[in-house]
Amino acid sequence: MLVMKNINKTFQTGNIQTHALNNFNLTVNEGDFVSVTGPSGSGKTTFLNIAGLLETYTNGEFTLDGKDVGQLNDNGRSRMRNEKIGFVFQGFNLIPDLNLFDNVDVPLRYRGFDAKERRRRIEENLERVGLASRMKHLPSQLSGGQQQRVAIARALATEPRFLLADEPTGNLDSQMAQGVMTLLEEINQQGTTIIMVTHDLELAMRAIRTIQVRDGRVSELDVVAEKASA
Amino acid sequence: MIEIGLIVRALLRNKIGALLIALQIALTMTIMVNAIFMIQDRQSQMQRESGLDEANTFYLTNTVFGKDYNLQAEMQTDLNSIRKTPGVIDALQINAIPLSGGGWSMSLQHEPGDDKDTIGSAVYMVDDHAINTLGVELLAGTNFSAEDIEWRVDGQSTWPSKTIITKAFAEQLYPDNWETALGKTIYISQNQPMQVIGIIKTLQAPWNGWGGVERSMLVPFQMETQSSYYFIRTESGRRDELMPIIEKTLAESNKERIIRRVTTLEETRKRSYRRHNATNKILTTVVITLTLITGFGIVGLAIFSINRRTKQIGTRRAIGATKWQVMRYFLVENFLISCVGVIIGIAGAIALNMWLVKTFNLTPIGFELIAFGAVALFIVGQLAVLYPAKKAALIPPATATRTV
Repeated sequence: MLVMKNINKTFQTGNIQTHALNNFNLTVNEGDFVSVTGPSGSGKTTFLNIAGLLETYTNGEFTLDGKDVGQLNDNGRSRMRNEKIGFVFQGFNLIPDLNLFDNVDVPLRYRGFDAKERRRRIEENLERVGLASRMKHLPSQLSGGQQQRVAIARALATEPRFLLADEPTGNLDSQMAQGVMTLLEEINQQGTTIIMVTHDLELAMRAIRTIQVRDGRVSELDVVAEKASA
Repeated sequence: MIEIGLIVRALLRNKIGALLIALQIALTMTIMVNAIFMIQDRQSQMQRESGLDEANTFYLTNTVFGKDYNLQAEMQTDLNSIRKTPGVIDALQINAIPLSGGGWSMSLQHEPGDDKDTIGSAVYMVDDHAINTLGVELLAGTNFSAEDIEWRVDGQSTWPSKTIITKAFAEQLYPDNWETALGKTIYISQNQPMQVIGIIKTLQAPWNGWGGVERSMLVPFQMETQSSYYFIRTESGRRDELMPIIEKTLAESNKERIIRRVTTLEETRKRSYRRHNATNKILTTVVITLTLITGFGIVGLAIFSINRRTKQIGTRRAIGATKWQVMRYFLVENFLISCVGVIIGIAGAIALNMWLVKTFNLTPIGFELIAFGAVALFIVGQLAVLYPAKKAALIPPATATRTV
């Protein structure tokens, strides 16, 4: 469960203060699929960075899986990212010098799994995204959609409680975007909580809940019940 | 968990920069190890004992120009006068000064004949005061007696029948047991016999770069010559005080000669090894410069690599790497590059040393020096990459979500 209460994030540039998040409140339950939309500069990415422990917040309360995030030091945040959160980035963020197998291996090594366990997880997750046969290929030898699938496999390999996706289809054509979206839905149905930032309203509406961020706060909620009754 | 496999595979796909640094490390290792070896070699040469009481000895040149000058009588008068000077231990006339760069050498052999193998030795023409004046240690046998001393005129080709040789020379003559040289007859000028009546511990030849610098012999000759050296040994700490006194006494006692070049043995040693010192300074500068250049090269490559991989590092942080794990990545990467460089460098250092040994007759390099070079370059590499690695560790994980 992810709970944010009155989260504020202020950036200071010289004498100018920018309030990226302003009393931001959100609760994401276990198994949710939440899409986050909003105009550019509304605070979507700042929210995602804070939710993913990539950035600290100025004040407020934030608990993730029952833990007070504000109490964690840098190492604790790294460990929590590795153990509980999986990331899917708009630009895939694969390591170009490593093949698919090694790319998925990276977070598993940080976790300290032994070689046998790592191999099992890598093969299982590449199989899950349909790329097991290409595990020795480099990212540059794959299409954008395939690269994003590898990024999803990497995110899932650590068996995270939360999958945070930042414009996961932003660099893909519509057909590939549909494929990635279907994969995310499958993952959600298997129990992983997903928070997805997107500009694409059509894709956003495929989530269980959609929230809109405007001026650094949640301005609107569409809940699963409404979607189900529509 | 150290990601050696991942780092190796990443390096293999991006090898040009890493290979250039590895080659730079190899080149530095090759030159550094051999330069240090040459420095050490020169240093040990400079530290060799001359056998003399260097701190308390000096010498001067006595050059005669008077027409009716009685060379034999005046020389005896001079030496008696010097020996009686309070503070002087002893003095003698000598034909050459150890380490001065100029002197005599002769070839000696076990048997007479012009087809026998010979061994070269420096020749010091001295009287029975030599052991005491030079401060050399007599290991076996006896000193010359006053009766052994002969006068030698310029151009004379005959030699006295007795000699005292250094232990190093005795070892060369009788490798199985140097002590057996005592009492043996050796031959000078192919067929003139000389009996070895004494063996002294050390007395270096005038030429520090000569392979046989430790081989010297004392010959009981006093020279009837227009120009010769007076060699003087003083009581401890009185050398500098006595140098001008003796110079003045000699100069005033007879106006038909010139006393000049009053020089201490310490000055002679310093002058003798001036080139060694200069070469060592140059080699030290080369070693330091090369090491610094290599260090800067590593810093440069690491910074370039980090700037190129900023987003990748941010991504690593985002998916769970701690700051230490990011730092460790670059330290391990540098260590692996250094390993390749050092391995090539060891081969290069040995190859260069083999060439130096063959060309300049040096001794082969020791394993300790190679190990030292390897460890030094690993340390330089790790220190050089420390700052860039720390910088990389500070890249925030949020960099992963930035689109620019």
